[in-house]
Amino acid sequence: MKKRIQFTVNGHAVAVKAESHQMLLEVLRDTLHLTGTKYGCGEGECGACTVLVDGASVDSCLYPAFEIEGRKVTTIEGLMGARNQLHTLQKSFVENGGIQCGYCTPGMIMSAKALLDETPHPGADEIRRGISGNLCRCTGYVQIIESIAKAAEKEQGNE
Amino acid sequence: MSEFHYIGKTHPRPDGPDKATGRALYIHDLVRPGMLHGKIKFSEYAHARIKHIDTSRAEKLPGVRAVITGYNTPQIRIGFIKDNFALKKDKVRQFRDEVAAVAAVDAETAAEAVELIEVEYEELPCVFSVEEALRPDATLIHELDPKERPRKDNIVPVPWKFTAGDVDKARDASAVVVEDYYDTPLILQSCMGTAGCIAEFDLMNNLIIHTKTQIPFLAQNDFNAALADMGLQGRRTRVIVPAVGGSFGTGLDTHAYEYIAILLAYTTGKPVKIVFDRHEEFTALSPRQSTRAHIIQGCDSEGRLTFRQMRMVLDNGAYTSWGATTPSVMMLPVSSLYRVPNIHFETTIVYTNNTYCQAMRGYGNPQAAWAIESNLDQLAQKAGIDPYQFRMTNANVADETTPMGLKITTCGFKDCLESVARELDWGEKRGKGRNRGRGVGMASLFHVGGAARVYRSDGTGVIMKLDDFGHVSITSGAVEMGQGFTSVLTAATAEALGVSPDMVTVIIGDTAICPWDVGTHASRGAFTACNAAILAADKARQKVFELAAEHFIARVSAAMKKRARKEPGFEGPDLDSIGTLSVSDFDLRHNFVFLKDRPDDPLLRVPLEELLREAHYREQGTIIVTEAFYDPCHEMLDPKTCRGNISAAYVFGVQGAEVEVDEETGKVTVLKFAAAHDVGKVLNPQTLKGQLYGAIVQGLGYALCEEYKTDRGRSLNPNFLDYKILAAPDVDFPIHIECIETDDPKGPFGAKGVGEPGLVPTAPAIANAVFDAVGVRIKSLPITPEKVLAALRKRKSGGSNVG
Amino acid sequence: MKKYNYHRPQTLKEAFRLMEKYNGLARYIAGGTDIIVRIKKGVASPEALISLRGLEELRGIEVDGAGALTVGSMTLIRELEREPVFTKNLPALSQAAVALANPQVRNVATVGGNLANAAPSADCAPPLLALEAWLTLEGPGGKRDVPISEFFQGPGRTCCAPLEIITRITIPSLPDKTGMAFLKSVRVNQDIALTNAAALLVMEDGMCRKCRLAVGAVAPVPLRLKATESAIEGQKIDKELLGRVGAMVESEISPITDVRASEDYRRVVTGVIVGRAIKQALRKVYPDGQEVLG
Repeated sequence: MKKRIQFTVNGHAVAVKAESHQMLLEVLRDTLHLTGTKYGCGEGECGACTVLVDGASVDSCLYPAFEIEGRKVTTIEGLMGARNQLHTLQKSFVENGGIQCGYCTPGMIMSAKALLDETPHPGADEIRRGISGNLCRCTGYVQIIESIAKAAEKEQGNE
Repeated sequence: MSEFHYIGKTHPRPDGPDKATGRALYIHDLVRPGMLHGKIKFSEYAHARIKHIDTSRAEKLPGVRAVITGYNTPQIRIGFIKDNFALKKDKVRQFRDEVAAVAAVDAETAAEAVELIEVEYEELPCVFSVEEALRPDATLIHELDPKERPRKDNIVPVPWKFTAGDVDKARDASAVVVEDYYDTPLILQSCMGTAGCIAEFDLMNNLIIHTKTQIPFLAQNDFNAALADMGLQGRRTRVIVPAVGGSFGTGLDTHAYEYIAILLAYTTGKPVKIVFDRHEEFTALSPRQSTRAHIIQGCDSEGRLTFRQMRMVLDNGAYTSWGATTPSVMMLPVSSLYRVPNIHFETTIVYTNNTYCQAMRGYGNPQAAWAIESNLDQLAQKAGIDPYQFRMTNANVADETTPMGLKITTCGFKDCLESVARELDWGEKRGKGRNRGRGVGMASLFHVGGAARVYRSDGTGVIMKLDDFGHVSITSGAVEMGQGFTSVLTAATAEALGVSPDMVTVIIGDTAICPWDVGTHASRGAFTACNAAILAADKARQKVFELAAEHFIARVSAAMKKRARKEPGFEGPDLDSIGTLSVSDFDLRHNFVFLKDRPDDPLLRVPLEELLREAHYREQGTIIVTEAFYDPCHEMLDPKTCRGNISAAYVFGVQGAEVEVDEETGKVTVLKFAAAHDVGKVLNPQTLKGQLYGAIVQGLGYALCEEYKTDRGRSLNPNFLDYKILAAPDVDFPIHIECIETDDPKGPFGAKGVGEPGLVPTAPAIANAVFDAVGVRIKSLPITPEKVLAALRKRKSGGSNVG
Repeated sequence: MKKYNYHRPQTLKEAFRLMEKYNGLARYIAGGTDIIVRIKKGVASPEALISLRGLEELRGIEVDGAGALTVGSMTLIRELEREPVFTKNLPALSQAAVALANPQVRNVATVGGNLANAAPSADCAPPLLALEAWLTLEGPGGKRDVPISEFFQGPGRTCCAPLEIITRITIPSLPDKTGMAFLKSVRVNQDIALTNAAALLVMEDGMCRKCRLAVGAVAPVPLRLKATESAIEGQKIDKELLGRVGAMVESEISPITDVRASEDYRRVVTGVIVGRAIKQALRKVYPDGQEVLG
């Protein structure tokens, strides 16, 4: 079955036709061409598809399209400011080596965003738990954890 | 060695912002106009004769544009020894064998159509273990060899054998001898970005393929051969590599899915995309081989190694990839890690009906190091010598030639050993934590660090182009798969040329544009491309200085006149006294050309871009483009003796851990990890550490939890729920990394390769630490709590599993 | 992937009506982190999913005058992890929540869904079994309350009638001197339990007045260890008794071998973690630990 669903993506109201068996990930990537959100496993194990729904991090590969009606979705594309201004987290990942192949990066940053929104000054263990649903095969996580910690410091400085 | 301006300093990676914002385009993100989606029908049996394929129902499904099988397409032979076909016709030899494929308007329709293909099989007897496969009466996986001659056994015709000295004699003369078996499991590379490609043909029937590969130019060769098989002799292939979501060896071969996409694109006349889902990535890509090593080592009463003998058996699976050459790398540590005068090494690679394997990061070295370094601790133990001292006694030194003919130039081995011993507080901790289940252990590695001649050419080309604004484009045939290649090549180009890194753009990923490169493997990317960049930069500097000889004084004089107009009373240096300038009088740094002997005079310098424009915009003008092809000064292995200096430099490293073992559950917890690597020279500390941290954590997964399990050839854990790689909470201990700089004369700025070594000694370091903690030796990876607990219980009940 | 319809009823009545319409071929979906994966793998193929996310009546957390806690079945695992009513009063349940998968999953997965899937390894089950929670099930014919120990019938099977939904979970209040702990054995931090265990002890004058032990992933259903419980109740929990726990636990469970662990390993480790959970629970009652264990 098909339905028109309306929701907000990165601050913009959108209306799309979606199939009842589709997931948010497919709506974002295939319908809205927001390909920053990645397919990694389709089973909620790797977190490459992490987006925020009403501020909470979720695996978009397991989030039924019909459930997005009326909700606010934030994707990696929505973190950037005007004129290519990178978000503090994005900048910190770039500067602190939090990125290698980059495939896990959007999901990782979205999980980090959800973490910092809730816990602005996380300890290293809180950061590890905050990104426990995001697998990375390149970095060994060390520089990712540093990137998030330094972004938190920077945000603190901006307060 | 002069002081560097950009080398050795952290520069954020140029591909970072795109990746951090989701803009980088991976194969999954690419769409071509009119593109169809391909899906493959895989075998339902491990070994069976194909009796009939009925594609009629699939063909009738609306949206389907083509259904292909081995029967309605040309046969394309693929693989390292061409023992595989893109689509299987006569029989299937493993569960993942490709029997048919569909192209449809969308991925959903393609998947639906594949379900409608019916294949009738006649089951054949299967062989799932190396032992079964080696029996004289074993079922043959391949009845014919690639040249269609009858085969007699299941041994892959890629034998490796190396002998130096007299092992038997040395064994008799040894004071202590230890012999054992060590096993390693199948390991999935587990790239976060799954494999895929988009194949399309232009109107001249030339192939354009966007594909996730580490070897664009060897792939181009392979695909050109496929075009010939398809009756398109003389047509050409353009390989384009998108952003790569990790590779770790998966991209060292071309794969059936790529050829199937090519066949579908040719059949339909449309671009065809095949991208694996995670299940396919687990079940239809080739994992790292499982191995069994039989090793015997001996030493004299002083603890000096006298001989080493290793027989390695590899389960090849049903077909042969480049992975069959991993013994050439296993041979490196076997022959050359520590000074061992007498060596015997041989391998048997065996066909089975298991999934066929390929190389993974480390290229056989992790399997060899697992056996050597675990067994070395057993030997030291039996000889009554501290394993650290034992390693120091036998460590290689600079300027030695090993029995295999490897010429070790620089060597930081002992520094690495000392570093790890220091970090782990070895003297205080070793052998002293057994009452509380704590222990320390270490292991060493030896690997190529100056590329590796595994192919007729080990070269790499670069093109350096300077534009009117002083921007530099450096074009390379290598692949960025996350390792930081573009960041290092940027810094090397800036350093070698004399411009700032922000002026440099690295162009990669298109065989039609980029000069030839053998592939991004063997930890060679930075080593070769940076060396090539230095050569190209030298040529460019020469040209810049030629322009300077012609225009420098005029430009300086013009600038001074301009200034004098603005600032009355301004007086510059006396240009007439400088006299005629020649090419050798100039230097270029930070985007300015200046006089070598007057480097600090702010008036006697000209911006590079000004010189370039001056040369360009005039009658009979010129621009600067240079190229270089760097092929390291090393040798191909002699196929008979397996001797030859296959790399221009070699790296050493040592890793160690302090662990705690829960004696009630067998769980091993890492408390601290220390690594020291001889890297030659640190090019970019951030990307270098990133490589090492990442490799160590992969190595810890190999050590502790990763195992791709199969039952009668079928995968039991083809997903991240059941196949566990480490996540952030699992890495909750400090990892200390020390980079030992040995400044290799062949390395670019002294650097040696470092991409793979970080995961080579990790597993034996953990096993050795576990032994120190609780006195049991685990000889098969991974070191699961279950194995540790079983060993502990066995020891309690008087068993012999005590090393 | 099989196609299916998706409905978002706003009332229980509407949900029952939809379920009835599909004549047994539809499934309820809560957070969906299990059912969607099963559909993708082809091991479930419902004609429709009927979402419980729009049902306000399945939400809410209430404490009654006697201190019993009633939790709507659509309460997120994330809430169990974070809400003070759980973290302060039922920390062992919160620990089980933290141990369940990862933040993204916990942000959508629900306590009701975790129980209704009836996976033997469900992390919420052992603590709720130890707490002797009651489940309220509601169908077109009305409501009924069942003790959680009677809820699980086998892997993926519960005592729910075809249209029934868990609407609420009620956790009785805990007497003073109650200690509780949850432990989970895993291959890596984020994993399905090889085995998990909860222990609840009510102590009186150094003696165990009440002992409730529950384990998961070692039998077809999450399991109360009744024989071990009665061996502990009325006793002083000392080293000797704890030394016997492992063997008692082992005889009460029937684990299987799968890709994660062998039967034998599960058996041994369950004994170990139950013993540790008892010790931890005891330490909650006696933080200095001197009254017990000598």
